[in-house]
Order: sequence, then C-alpha cells, then structure tokens
Amino acid sequence: MKFINIFLIVINILNFNLLMAGEIKSENEIAKNLRCLICQGQSVHDSDSEFAISLKLVIKDKIQQGMSEEEIYSFLKMKYGEWILYDPVFNQNTYFLWLLPILIFLVGGAIIIKRFYYKK
Amino acid sequence: MASLIGSYSLSFGLFLSVFIIFFSVRNLRDTEILDKKIISFTFTQFFFVVTSFFGLIISFVNSDFSNETVFNHSHTTKPLFYKISGTWGNHEGSLLLWLLVLTLFISIFLIKSSQQPKNYRIFTLLFQQIIIIGFFIFLIKTSSPFNYIVPTPNEGLGLNPILQDPALAIHPPILYLGYVGSSIIFSSALAAMVTSHVSKEWAKHIKQWVLASWVFLTLGILLGSIWAYYELGWGGFWFWDPVENVSLMPWFALTTLLHCILVLEKKKILTSWAMILSIATFALSMSGTFLVRSGILNSVHTFANDPERGLFILIFLFTLIFLSIFIFIFFHSGKEKIESNFFWLSKETSILINNWFMMYFLSVVLIGTIYPIFLEVITANKISVGPPFYNKLILPFLIPFLIAMAIGPNLNWVKSDFKDKFYMMIFLIISFLLSALIIKQFDINFLVNTILVTSAFFLFFSTSREFFVKRFKNLSQNIAHFGFSLLILSILFNNIFSNEVITNLKIGETFKAEKFTINFENIDQEDEKNFKAIIGKFNIQYLDGSSDILNPELRIYNQPNIITSEADIKTNLFTDKFMTMNYVQNQEYFNIRYQVKPFMIWIWISVLLITFGGSLSFFNKRYEI
Repeated sequence: MKFINIFLIVINILNFNLLMAGEIKSENEIAKNLRCLICQGQSVHDSDSEFAISLKLVIKDKIQQGMSEEEIYSFLKMKYGEWILYDPVFNQNTYFLWLLPILIFLVGGAIIIKRFYYKK
Repeated sequence: MASLIGSYSLSFGLFLSVFIIFFSVRNLRDTEILDKKIISFTFTQFFFVVTSFFGLIISFVNSDFSNETVFNHSHTTKPLFYKISGTWGNHEGSLLLWLLVLTLFISIFLIKSSQQPKNYRIFTLLFQQIIIIGFFIFLIKTSSPFNYIVPTPNEGLGLNPILQDPALAIHPPILYLGYVGSSIIFSSALAAMVTSHVSKEWAKHIKQWVLASWVFLTLGILLGSIWAYYELGWGGFWFWDPVENVSLMPWFALTTLLHCILVLEKKKILTSWAMILSIATFALSMSGTFLVRSGILNSVHTFANDPERGLFILIFLFTLIFLSIFIFIFFHSGKEKIESNFFWLSKETSILINNWFMMYFLSVVLIGTIYPIFLEVITANKISVGPPFYNKLILPFLIPFLIAMAIGPNLNWVKSDFKDKFYMMIFLIISFLLSALIIKQFDINFLVNTILVTSAFFLFFSTSREFFVKRFKNLSQNIAHFGFSLLILSILFNNIFSNEVITNLKIGETFKAEKFTINFENIDQEDEKNFKAIIGKFNIQYLDGSSDILNPELRIYNQPNIITSEADIKTNLFTDKFMTMNYVQNQEYFNIRYQVKPFMIWIWISVLLITFGGSLSFFNKRYEI
C-alpha cells in the first residue's frame, strides 16, 4: 500500500507540473500539439502545407491578441473540431482513453501482489 | 512470362498445403520419427513461393507493364535498385513477401527443432500451415500480384518518390522477419500446449526464435525511424503515428515475452503468462497488418483502401484468436510446481515488474491507437491522439521503470538482499546532481526533467558499473540494458537541447538568429534520371567563427509528378545539423527550416547496441543471468 501511495503522490506532482509548464509555451509549442488537417499524420508545426502555414499565422495573431494557450486551443476546437487537437480533451468521450491504461496498470500490480499473499 | 510462372507457382504452393496436412496428420499416430516426406513437401512449398517471388521481381526488373502490380508501382526510368525494392513497396508484393518469410521460417523451424518431440513439431507445422493457407488464399483471392492488364500499357505509374530510398528499401523485409518470426512463436506455443510440451526445454528452444524476431523487429523499427528522420523533412524520428505504434506494440509484447521466457527457462513458472504473450505477440503483428492494410489509418503505408481485404484479414485474425483461446482453455494446464515460490526481493520479481510496466506501455499505445477508431464508429466524433497523450501517460511511469531496471539485474534468483547499497546510493546522488546542473541551464520545467534525467543517468551508471563487476557474465543483457539507458538519455537530451528556426528566405538574403546567421547564397539545378533537383546553398555562420555549408534539395520527380524536399544533414558525434528547403507556390522565397539536433546519432547507435546485445545472446547458447 505504501508503495502505491508514494507512487500516486509522485504521479500527482508530475502531472501538476506538466500543467504549470503550459504558461510559457511559444507558438511553436502550440503548433506541435495541432494536427495538420490536410496532411498524413503530421502536426501543424512539422508541416509546410498551405493549411499549416496559414494556421501558424493564426496562432501568432492570437498570441499577440493576448489569448492564452488554452483559449487558442478552444478557439481552434470550435472552428475545426476536436480532430485538430493532438492532446485529447478529458471528457465523457475520453474517460476510457485516459483511465483504462491506468486501470490496467493497477490491476496488473494487484495480480503481482496477490501472487505473493496467496502463497503465504 | 515471369508473371505467369509466378502465378502458377502460387497455386501449386497452396495445393502442396493439402499434402503437407495430409501426411502430417497421418504421421501424428503412426511412427516415432518425423516422416521425411513432410519436410520435403514443406521445402517444395517454400521453393514455389520463392519462384513466385522471383517471378514478381523479374517482372519489375523488366518493367513488364502487362502485370498490373508492376504497372501501378514502377516506371522505366526508375533506377534498378528501386525497381527491385518496388516489388515489396506495395500491398500485393508485400503480402507475397509475408508468405515467403512464413514458408522460409517453417522450413528453418523443421530443421532446427530436430531435438524436440515429433508431435510437437508436427503440430507447430500444422498451425503454421493454417496461417500459410490463410495468406495464400488472401493473396490469390483479393490481392494477386499477377493480374493482367490488356492492352499492355507503355509506361508505368511509378513508385511514390518518398519510398525511393535505401533505408526504406530494406525496411519492410527486415520488419517482416520480425513480424513473421512471431508466427512461429505463436504456432509453437499452440503446439506446445496441445502436446503438453510447455517446459524448460521448450522455453530454451523457443527463446532463439523470440530473440531472432525481437532483433529483426527492433532493426526494422529503427530503419523506419531513420527514414522518417531524413526523408519526411521535419527532423523528428518518432511521432506516435498509428502506423508507427502498430510496429511498437508487437515489440513491447516480444520484449515482455523475452524476459518472461528467461524465467520459464530457469524454472517452470509463469507458463500461462508465456502462452498468453506468445499468442498476443502474433495477434498484434496480424492486427498491425490489418490496421495498416485496411486503409483505416491514413498514411504512406496505406497502399490500398479496399474494404474486402480488411474484412478478410479481420475474419482470419478472429479465427486464429478463437482457435488459440480454445486451445488455451482446453489444453493448457496452468498448474505449476512448488518451486514457483520466490520472495519479494528476487530476480523473478524484477522480471515481473518489467512485464508489468511493459504491459502498461503496451496498453497505452494500444488504447491510444485504436480508441479513436472505435469512438468514431460509435459516436461519429473524430478525435486525435498524439504525442502529448503518450508523453503524459508514459513519461511518469518511465521513472520507476528505469530505476527498477537499474536494480533488477543485480538481484539473485529466489531470494536476494540489497547488495551494493552503497554504490547505488552514490549513483543516485551523482545522477541527481548532474541532472540538476544540466537542466538548470535551460528554461524548461525543472522538476519533471530533472527526475527523468536522474533516473536515466542512474540506469546509465549502474549498467556501466556492471561491465566492470560482472565482466563477461551476462554481457548480452548488460549491453542491451546499457543501450537502453543511452537511448533514453539521448532522446531526453535531444528533446531538451534542440534548437529550431523556421523562416522564409529569398536567394541572397540572410537570417539572423540568436546564435547563428543563415545566408542563402544561391541555387543550382541538376538533372537526374528520374527527377530534377534544385539544390540550395546555405552558409551558416556561428558566433564562435565556425561555419557550415548545407545543401538541401527540392526534387521534382517525373513519374509520378511529385515535388519532394530532401534534407541535408551534417552529422557529427554531438549534434546533427538538419536543413530542409520547401517550395512555396507563386512566391520568390523558399521556406527554410534549420534545426540543431544534439545526440541524434546516439539514438541510432543506442538502438544498434540494444539489438547487438540481443544478437549476442542468440549466439551464446550457454545459459546466462
């Protein structure tokens, strides 16, 4: 139990920090998290298609208007749909996407621990 | 002519399966030894598939456009090398290659397994035949490489230029050796269950196949990754694209199996788990083929969007999975001996922990890859799952994984104490100080990056020390683990230290960045056999006075008419300098992307080290660990 507790705390701290890190991201970082809608599996940042080039200008523009990173994402989500975001939003559609791997991890751990207690 | 021979060879090959199955089933009851006829028939079948494959190669080399596959994927002006590699650069040819490797491997298996029980060998052959027949029918029914076109066209449609590349020419065969190797593991696991041969001897014997598949799969993924790095022009080597993930999933399963087999080889425990992994590895390879070939995923790998093909593979896959579940439930006895007792702090536990984390990583990649497909089918919502998702779910778990990996190999079987506590503490402190010092120089999240780099350094130091302490004992494992620590370190540093500039430049213009200036000097034109090249000359001046000349290219291919951009990369031990130039429509300027990517070459070297470690163990039959 102690092990799991420590583990959960560590994960919490790390995720918390991943969120905090968001404030200083540049336009490049934002473009990396967006899908280039007309390309085959490339981000807006990596692509040189016209769509990507114009979207980069839009991002630059929005930053100058003083929009935060989250606001830009939700603006683009409104315009192009969730398909454009590489970082899937946590909502009822994606509960399983985010939680199932963690659940599998916990079940796996439980199975291993059970092996030991069962023996004794 | 060559097409005709190829086509007939395929039918003969399929026909031979009937004989193989007939004699195998008869041989099951009859005698004590394996019927020689079975081996001859298996070899003959392999021979027919080879003939068929050569038939296709010859059609490609001769640019025989009466063959539909050649017409769709080749062109007379293509260099010979790419005519040949074009054979497997398409759906039909690549399936023929699958079949070729399937029949090759079962032939090798029959030779190499002479020490094993007769019925186990026959059952392996039978299960392998089910897969082989499935592929024969799939090829002949839905994707024959030998269809005719009347009248014969004068010129072919050409091969996608980004596939005309040396690394990509050998990427599919190497990757397939890994994928198809897992079919032998699958068949032999089923056979071992049916004949109650799941034992230490079986583990020892199948370990060779696990290792070989694992080595080829790793190399195959590496080649694909290197290709993506220099050909796709964005300077990355892994994008968590579904088609990349599809090759990574069987890799995780194989790596898990490899570690699990090490335990099984020593003592007869974890048998059920090994069986599940053997089945899962092949199921993942097959579903990878399904996902890529069915056109569900859009990418350069998707050669055809034919629902009939996808449906066939799906039905075939489910048949195999049901068959294996059936065998697992009714034939496998999960009972293990008393000797399965082991204690918390032991090598067994550390391997279990490896398996645990590997399965977690596998489930992240699996769910991330297929979840969007299911969501779209069920709710019509399209979502993307990209790098941020994988980073968030994998990176935090990488930390305990690396630390466990550093400690695990130092433990003994059954029961162990913490030896070398002193060294481990020292290493942990040094790693932390070193990481903190490095990370502090950069404007990035301190805590996350320091902890990550610390755990990678910790593994690096502890595996380095093992070279001195254990010397040649465990060398292969040690090299592989050392390579892995190097890989994680290089990837982390590559991410942290990378520097990138994207700008538009006209000829003669100069761009000033913080640490360097880019001078676009001029452009040159060159005519090659199948493309025209526009070569830019860029002079990059650094603050310390040194300079680099880089020559990225634009290539205008004649057939099909596609413009590609070729990166110019200056590689040395510490950094890669990477430059691409892109054409912008109706503008005088070019779009320039210049990247400084540190430790890039170490990513490739470390993966090579990992595979080298694996291969060493393949040649060293003596039991290690």
